[in-house]
Amino acid sequence: MTTAIRTEKDLDALAREGEGSLYPRGLKLLIGSASCGISAGAREVEAAALEALKAAGLDAVVARTGCIGFCQAEPLVDVILPEGPRVCFSKVTPAGIRSLIEGYAKTGHLKADAALCRFTEEKYVSAGTTRPYPPGTNGLGQVPEWSTVDFYRPQERVILRNCGSIDPMSLGEAVARGAYRGALRALTRMTPEQVVAEITASGLRGRGGAGFPTGRKWDAARTQEADAKYFICNADEGDPGAFMDRSVMEGDPHAVLEGMLIGAYAIGAARAFVYVRSEYPLAVSTMEHAIAQAKAAGLLGKDILGSGFDLEIEIRRGAGAFVCGEETALIASIEGRAGEPRPRPPYPAVKGLWGKPTVINNVKTLSSIGAILARGAAWYAGRGVEGSRGTTVFSLVGAVKNTGLVEVPLGISLRQMIYDIGGGPSGSKPVKAVQTGGPSGGCIPAAMLDLTIDYEKLAQAGAMMGSGGMIVIDEGTCMVDLARFFLSFTAEESCGKCAPCREGTKQMLRILTRICEGEGKSEDLQTLQRLATTIKAASLCGLGQTAPNPVLTAMRYFGPEFEAHVKDRKCPAGVCRNLTTFKVDESACIGCGRCVKVCAVSAVAGTAKKAHRIDEALCTRCGACRSVCPADAVINV
Amino acid sequence: MILDNAPATPAAPAKAKPAPCGSVLVAGGGIAGIQAALDLSAAGFGVYLVEESPTIGGTMARLDKTFPTGDCATCTISPKLVACLRDLNVEVLTMADVMTLEGEPGQFTAQVRLRPRGVDADKCTGCGDCVEHCPVRNVPQAVATFAPAHPGQADDRALMEEILVKYSAEPSVLIPVLQDINERRGYLPRPMLEDLAARLGIPLAEILRVASFYNAFSLTPVGRHVIEVCLGTACFVRGSNLLLERLEDLVGVPAGGTDKDRRFTLRTVRCIGCCALAPAMRIDGVTFGKMKLDKVGDILERFQ
Repeated sequence: MTTAIRTEKDLDALAREGEGSLYPRGLKLLIGSASCGISAGAREVEAAALEALKAAGLDAVVARTGCIGFCQAEPLVDVILPEGPRVCFSKVTPAGIRSLIEGYAKTGHLKADAALCRFTEEKYVSAGTTRPYPPGTNGLGQVPEWSTVDFYRPQERVILRNCGSIDPMSLGEAVARGAYRGALRALTRMTPEQVVAEITASGLRGRGGAGFPTGRKWDAARTQEADAKYFICNADEGDPGAFMDRSVMEGDPHAVLEGMLIGAYAIGAARAFVYVRSEYPLAVSTMEHAIAQAKAAGLLGKDILGSGFDLEIEIRRGAGAFVCGEETALIASIEGRAGEPRPRPPYPAVKGLWGKPTVINNVKTLSSIGAILARGAAWYAGRGVEGSRGTTVFSLVGAVKNTGLVEVPLGISLRQMIYDIGGGPSGSKPVKAVQTGGPSGGCIPAAMLDLTIDYEKLAQAGAMMGSGGMIVIDEGTCMVDLARFFLSFTAEESCGKCAPCREGTKQMLRILTRICEGEGKSEDLQTLQRLATTIKAASLCGLGQTAPNPVLTAMRYFGPEFEAHVKDRKCPAGVCRNLTTFKVDESACIGCGRCVKVCAVSAVAGTAKKAHRIDEALCTRCGACRSVCPADAVINV
Repeated sequence: MILDNAPATPAAPAKAKPAPCGSVLVAGGGIAGIQAALDLSAAGFGVYLVEESPTIGGTMARLDKTFPTGDCATCTISPKLVACLRDLNVEVLTMADVMTLEGEPGQFTAQVRLRPRGVDADKCTGCGDCVEHCPVRNVPQAVATFAPAHPGQADDRALMEEILVKYSAEPSVLIPVLQDINERRGYLPRPMLEDLAARLGIPLAEILRVASFYNAFSLTPVGRHVIEVCLGTACFVRGSNLLLERLEDLVGVPAGGTDKDRRFTLRTVRCIGCCALAPAMRIDGVTFGKMKLDKVGDILERFQ
């Protein structure tokens, strides 16, 4: 693409070009190559595939794509057959891909046993169309259609609409699936007021966690009079346990850029920033590439799409400070200072980056924007429930069978999330709780799993939507220890500017540590409660105001577990060391000796194939033996 | 002034070298020089202690505590300062520069030039009034800077120029520049930060504040390989604290430390976004997911 895109016709031409590379005439292999895929071995699989194709004399296109969300089954390889359909293979090894390709070269068929699902059509969400694959089944009729697989059935992909289907390095493929159609409509046929009104009508709320209505935020910045305005994409995804922003940037960077382009147009900003965590190197390079590409195609820079609107987007890497996800701290960081928040108001929409009106939106919010503008507010508002419209992405992780990125319409229940999509607990232990919203959110007990997921319901339960981390916890996790973990995180990440957060979290952490070590005092639980209330009320920014949430919800729903630690000096989950004694269940022990190998203090002894013993005097109760035991024979008494 | 350390006996014939004798010149009046002078004096040598600044004592006289024992620096050095001045075998030459050095071991001749002091040292009581009233503030006590030349300085300068070319001159480039330095050197060397302060016009204290605020920066050198253990929630729930303990055991340093051979630096990191592969760790940027405790050792073996 050498000439700049200025009209719908140019976009159509690029789309046709992209269509050609999405669906070449012959065989095509799509390798899931997001960070998670790469660490699971996608590069090795790719090399093996190229080699096997060459050896078999097959002419095929091998392309990289982002993450399709089913992280559990990485590395994932999709094969698009010339006669249809697209078949997805999971947990592919180099040997597996070799035998798959050799088999196909010999017989013309793919082995069905390794297939996860097949696609008979592609949904082009932004365009509102579907593209069917040719009707041939290649003998794979038994492989379930992807929309009937448990993991995908309740899902609806808007934010992740192109992730795992396009090559993130190709602008044409993104455009073929409808990218920049929303921007074209906004910039050439709508005024900024109309764009803001459309977003307001869609009911979209900030997907970064707090859920502020996006339309209102934009309107506040739009109506400000200023010589310069800025637009920022907050991609400082700091919540431990959440990785959907990374996945969107790695899999569909143009969706983010399109959202920024529309947003900047709506508020009148000529300069925009993407603030990305430095822990995400692949996301940084993918975004950099996409920005250069969009600029070359005239979708960024001067006079975009012939509308007379200019926009430059720059990338700023974070430097590893959780608090920089808070908008005023993020602004300080872009300005080159230590990332400390400041009191609001004035809100950034009035006085933000370098004192100018600034809008900061999360990656997920932004990648919804393009689809909303392309399909219309009513289409988007048709999803979700009253007050919480549309879809959002959760990273379903922890003690659950199917882990990965899940995009659902708001309003589905936690039970559906964990049992239908997640497939239930991963081990033998039952689900105990689910943690949403990371260190700012809370734990919801298994008894409340029928709670529906929307901003208000979660807040009432003491948790919050947060950035979408959803961690399933089973009986093997101690709630006091988990609360302590979150507190240690916030205490460490507290920037230290305001005293309630800096000192308060430290004190709470001290008390929780004491309880975990078996030295809890009877008044500790009350003190925790008091401290928590004060920190929530008096802290300067969101970090401090939400830091006590994990402790408060744990105490609210798991009170007896706290009592057991303080009064009975017992840790029911067998996690807190001073309150635990490990023993080998001799009837269950298979004598494999793995526990002997991992024990750092040689406290485990025994001969092969016979029951082992733990020497209590030597045991430091680290639990390493329990974690490697294949027979669950190490028990807590 | 010519100092001649003429030996007590005339030079011996070429065959047998004379035993070193006479007086000794000690260059530098810091704590090391002072101690050397005192020891030599006790061994019976005459000593010229030559110091370029107006006073002896060097850096240690300006410290509060010394590493690693945390001892009081003044308590250590004060008696030695007094002893030096009282010792009849030691002649202290301050504001002095060694101009030439000729001869061979046992037979050196050194030329030392004393710079004018403007103060009669015999009468001075050290009251400090002159410092107070000096129109060119503090000149009598002007001291050498902390940043001596060090090996690799030229490299540092070249790297700095290479990095700065990419950025505009606004102060907001500080963090990206620090990130680049950290990436290339593995840490932020102090001399480079001093250089950066001068170039960007940002006070060094402000740079250090930013550098110490963000977790991504290190102010100390790191090992050849950096291990990062993810302590995100998903990893924690799946036992990453045990993984960390195992690594601490194997590497032999607590989290945040670097082992003696500088082979590994062990760090913790809050979520690398590979939650579905929990527990995960990263070595030199390569992610290892679904870690098993009994596999850790084999993986470390791959990194020498």
